[in-house]
Amino acid sequence: MGPIKIEPARALEEALTTQRKLAAALTTLRSLDEVEFGVTEKEAIYREDKLVVYRFKGEKPPTAKVPILIVYALVNRPYMVDLQDDRSLVKNLLARGEDVYLIDWGYPDGADRWLTLDDYINGYIARSVDAVAKHAKVKKTNLLGICQGGAFSLCFAAMHPDKVQNLITMVTPVDFQTPENMLSSWVRNLDVDLFVNTLGNIPADLMNLCYLMLKPVRLNQQKYIGLVDILDDKVEMENFLRMEKWIFDSPDQAGEAFRQFIKDFYQGNKLVKGGLKIGAHDVSLRNVTMPVLNIFAEQDHLVPPSASRVLVDHVGTKDYTQIAFRGGHIGIYVSGRAQREVPSAIHDWLAARAR
Amino acid sequence: MADSPNPDWMNQWQAMSRQYMNAWQDMSRNGAHGQASPVAPVWPPQGFDQAARLFSVGGGQGETIERLVDSAKNYASFMQSMLATSMQGGAAPNWSDALRQGFASMGGNAPMFNPSAAQGWQGMAGQGGDGFARMMSAISAMKLPSNGGVDEIKSWFNLPAFGMGREHQEHQQKSVVAWIEYQEHMGRYNALMLKASQRGFELFEGKLSEREQPGRQIESLRALYDLWVDAAEEGYAEIALSQEFRDAYGAMVNAQMRVRSQVQQEVERVATDFGMPTRSEINSIGERLQALRREVRASGMNGALADEVAALREEFAAFKASAKRTQPVAAVKTMPAKPAAAGVASVKVVPIKPAAAAARKPAARTAKAATRARPKRASREAAAAPARANVRGGKKSDKRVEKAVAATASGNFASRIEKFATASLGTPRGKLKQAEAPVSPKKKKKSKR
Repeated sequence: MGPIKIEPARALEEALTTQRKLAAALTTLRSLDEVEFGVTEKEAIYREDKLVVYRFKGEKPPTAKVPILIVYALVNRPYMVDLQDDRSLVKNLLARGEDVYLIDWGYPDGADRWLTLDDYINGYIARSVDAVAKHAKVKKTNLLGICQGGAFSLCFAAMHPDKVQNLITMVTPVDFQTPENMLSSWVRNLDVDLFVNTLGNIPADLMNLCYLMLKPVRLNQQKYIGLVDILDDKVEMENFLRMEKWIFDSPDQAGEAFRQFIKDFYQGNKLVKGGLKIGAHDVSLRNVTMPVLNIFAEQDHLVPPSASRVLVDHVGTKDYTQIAFRGGHIGIYVSGRAQREVPSAIHDWLAARAR
Repeated sequence: MADSPNPDWMNQWQAMSRQYMNAWQDMSRNGAHGQASPVAPVWPPQGFDQAARLFSVGGGQGETIERLVDSAKNYASFMQSMLATSMQGGAAPNWSDALRQGFASMGGNAPMFNPSAAQGWQGMAGQGGDGFARMMSAISAMKLPSNGGVDEIKSWFNLPAFGMGREHQEHQQKSVVAWIEYQEHMGRYNALMLKASQRGFELFEGKLSEREQPGRQIESLRALYDLWVDAAEEGYAEIALSQEFRDAYGAMVNAQMRVRSQVQQEVERVATDFGMPTRSEINSIGERLQALRREVRASGMNGALADEVAALREEFAAFKASAKRTQPVAAVKTMPAKPAAAGVASVKVVPIKPAAAAARKPAARTAKAATRARPKRASREAAAAPARANVRGGKKSDKRVEKAVAATASGNFASRIEKFATASLGTPRGKLKQAEAPVSPKKKKKSKR
């Protein structure tokens, strides 16, 4: 008995099906509109340079007294949390009565080349938090940090614990040097000073290239061969293209902030080893004393679970909750399971601490 | 695969492929199920090219379509490669080679794993990226000796330079050496990619041998392909996480940055010769500006400015309300819409569009134009101002006016801050540091007033 048992008739059928799908694709693809994203109505409550803080508007007024401020990563656009009507973390949080704000970092250009992590965390984030608190008429806000934004939120919460009511981190790297962290391995020998001095701001295409190279065959080829299966389905194709747009719609990275992030976080692993300094502040996770909810994805190839779950060993809070989500780095926002599980988990956890 | 322990499945594959090819040839002759096919048959890649041309006119999804077409094309080549082997007459076809070639056509080789190695890294946009690309294309014609001779070549370019042009010559020599080193590191990186590909195929063979039990056999072409992808990714991950790869990757990127840096320096030199601004100069200005912004924030000036603007807004609103009460409606409507940069009249428009409008026009020109073109408005405002000053009371109000004028003055950010600081604190810029020294909130408030 051999390992291959492909019936000729079935192989032929595969070929014919593919042909049929490709033929249908000629019609489907040309009928697609330009994909749109960001479905929930929102208003800008604060602007500074390229940064805008938005407040989302739900169908009914929020019942939560303390708002949530979402701090997204710099490396992608934040509309992933509100991608489309049936894939929106924001919409689902609003539906549960949360009051949701979000920082949109914009697209850095040459004028932002010299922004440091201090400018981002003790500057932009601090002023955004103040703006949200003022707008919502509260003293403290809940922070929801995602990926790199989660690392920033941890730093902010450690430096300004008086401004954060509860801290939620999603797919957030904490230990940047776990063995399966491929990105970390690659940048360990990078001469980041030479890199930033030469490139200035780090081009988004270069960042995307690195991400694609984490799983080159799957991301450069298999994904598109799989696309043939949905070529005749307009809705599915639009979903695919929406995601595709998000993946490649990436901002450049401000050079100085990138330099410091690679040196201190990836190469120095100072968030867990200690010695991290942002501006004039020493950052110690022991100062994160507010309640913490840490959500990570079990199949995350960008931020391996091991990089995230160690947070429990480093924070100073006695109220720490951890949720392992069955999915990947992106599925945690857009999969069907994510829509059911993640917003509820966040809402329930916050509600339990609002009593 | 020549030493594969699975001759049975190869025979099966061969038999299946013959039947498939026969069926395919029949279908191609007659059309699918007797119907005319709307596109060229799937497997000849030309069909995909045709589709790509059609897709390219269909909206802004071009890149995705391109990737789809490329992938489908590779998939088709993979099928064709193996089917062609199955049709070989005579002795049993070499399935080991067929599978290797088939998956190589899918990209199971170094360039597939790293499309960047050949194009991506070299073509990456960035500061000096174009120059870099041009230089790469120009010098890529240089052939490096395969072994041994590289160090010899490098040593020639490390010879000291002399005389008038020694600096330039030395820079050019360094550029060539940087490029040679980059080629060396890129070669090492590509060799590891090839190793990853080979490792992937070894794992693929292992995975195939695990599928011999009934119920675990591969029953579709897609499943065969997916199994290969799993193996390829596993093989790649093993290599990509190794210390050897980490070293090679870092060295390759660092070497490329050195080449880019050399090119950028050369471009800057040429730009300077032509009297053009350079990236270094712009960087220097940007760095200083950002430092100044931090300094201003740290000094609390920004907050004070915001407070002053808010106070002026309130004052203006009050004044506007009182003006409505005391002046005819028509007179209010003729208030200038744009701020004049100098003179009392500008106070009235601070809340509308202060800095932006002032920055667009030079102060003198704006003031002049305002006086020349709208004498009536100017005199009306000039008349209104003293009245307000009387109401608000003497020097304090005058100072407020000075500060407002400073806040809306023309010039760059730094000079506006300086004017404002002078108006607010009554201190020249040189004494700003003293004024910024920590003061108690009460004192600070007092000094602001």
